Amino acid sequence: MSAPALDQHAILQAYADAAVAARDELTRLDQLAGDGDFGDNLREGLAAVRAGIEAAPGEPAFRTGAQVFLDEVGGTSGPLLGLLLQSVAQALGTAGAAGDERHAFADGVREGLAAIQRVGEAEVGDRTLVDALSPAADALAEGAGYADVARRARQGALDTADLRARQGRASYLGDRAKGAPDAGALGVALLFWAVARVAEPDADLGDPVAFVSP
Amino acid sequence: MDRLFLPTEGVDASLRGFARAHAGLVELHEDPTYLLARERHPDRRVGIVSGGGSGHEPMHAGFLGRGLLDAAVPGRVFASPHNRQVYEAGKAVAGPDGVLLVVKNYTGDRINFGIAAERLRADGVEVRRVLVDDDVATESEETGTGRRGTGATPVVEKLLGAAADSGLGLDELAHLGERVVAASRSLAVASRAQTRPADGGPAFELPDGELEYGVGIHGERAQRTVSYEGLEHLVPRMVSDVLDSLERAEATGDDVLLLTNGMGATTLLELYTVHDAAAGALEERGLRVAAQAVGTLVPGLDMAGFSLTVTRLRDDWLDLWRAPAVTPAFPAPTDIPAGTPTGSPAPVEATR
Repeated sequence: MSAPALDQHAILQAYADAAVAARDELTRLDQLAGDGDFGDNLREGLAAVRAGIEAAPGEPAFRTGAQVFLDEVGGTSGPLLGLLLQSVAQALGTAGAAGDERHAFADGVREGLAAIQRVGEAEVGDRTLVDALSPAADALAEGAGYADVARRARQGALDTADLRARQGRASYLGDRAKGAPDAGALGVALLFWAVARVAEPDADLGDPVAFVSP
Repeated sequence: MDRLFLPTEGVDASLRGFARAHAGLVELHEDPTYLLARERHPDRRVGIVSGGGSGHEPMHAGFLGRGLLDAAVPGRVFASPHNRQVYEAGKAVAGPDGVLLVVKNYTGDRINFGIAAERLRADGVEVRRVLVDDDVATESEETGTGRRGTGATPVVEKLLGAAADSGLGLDELAHLGERVVAASRSLAVASRAQTRPADGGPAFELPDGELEYGVGIHGERAQRTVSYEGLEHLVPRMVSDVLDSLERAEATGDDVLLLTNGMGATTLLELYTVHDAAAGALEERGLRVAAQAVGTLVPGLDMAGFSLTVTRLRDDWLDLWRAPAVTPAFPAPTDIPAGTPTGSPAPVEATR
């Protein structure tokens, strides 16, 4: 029995729709600890990705998404998401049609996590998107289904509420940022929500707003 | 009139003017913005890319050219460039051994150059980074961000450029860069803040007779102000703080390079006066000023003040410093009296 196909186009469409729905909640959370622009950056970045995919329908959608996030999205989280998509696109592309897609996806997420950690010099527990990405990579390595991967990513993101930031803008606030989860981490978890939505449509993960709400 | 002659929309016009003025040496690329040296030594195996916010001219574009940088990536005033600029510049100048990124230690630069490095690696280009963190004033901060990158940057870039021309590989160059950084420290003072580009006001207020001791190149306030009681007190104190930091880093060597740098609005008449005092203070500590430069190389817009950078020289670093470079603004060493033997020949072929 082969794993369900990862339809890259459908995943990024679902992610873009989810970012529109979750925008207000992500903005509210980011205002508590950051500068409040993450919800808009994610929504607008994914709108640009949608346009990019339509303009280049022959390209793998993750590759287009990576390019848009890296080249056009402001802030720090957007380009870092671009690095994740770039690694996943590369791993899926290398695996080819005959390869094991689930393993390739897991490898891509693992490599994306490594790249993001090299760039951001962030460890698990620093209250960044690494706190969502790392448990997702672990779950994938353990062979978990995509819905469980999304749940683990969500839990990692929610657990940042108890963490003090060492990197990023929230680091200036010290303990004052505690109590609310990191919006960037939830935004990354939402990507895995979209993956599960497409690859395992029967799984019950709730709607995007509930998914990013503490 | 307290204002800068700068358009509010950014630095594009300045870059175009720079490219016109030095058209024989550099070319400007737009969308994304970066500048390239027109010539490079045929033995160079690694492209050297530097960059950062604008407002520190002539750094970095003024150091483009044979013997020094291959690409410079400017951001807006005091703002990091976008990762795409660094990525495209790196692709444009990558050598057979890849790309070396020279990055000053600021969070934005680290992240944007870091993303560019990952993109270059994804394209199969080898990348290493040299992080410049020389500012003694930020050594004891508890934030974990470490020392800022300031006045030592041109020194690091010059030695790396000369070494790259001798055919050094990427890892060797990165290692050399890390050693030069570890042997270099700087400290800056300001008597007046730079002008804020947005509204023409001073970036910070300083009472008469007070100096900001340990100011950053973006006008970051120092941990303290000191009252000014003459260069004969100020300069030995700065030299002492710089040497103490080098000692903590266990940088040794009796030959030093001294860079006396203007912060933007300080005259050469003043800078040479400061330089005389700084060289004297180093000699009093038993050190020999074997190499030196005086000028406005790393300013913070029009701040009034100066910085001192000391590099303890090792190995063939003096030869690397003296190796020829043809750039718009890097000062050629002219401190070697005629007829003085200068040790082993520079590891690059003669200038043409």
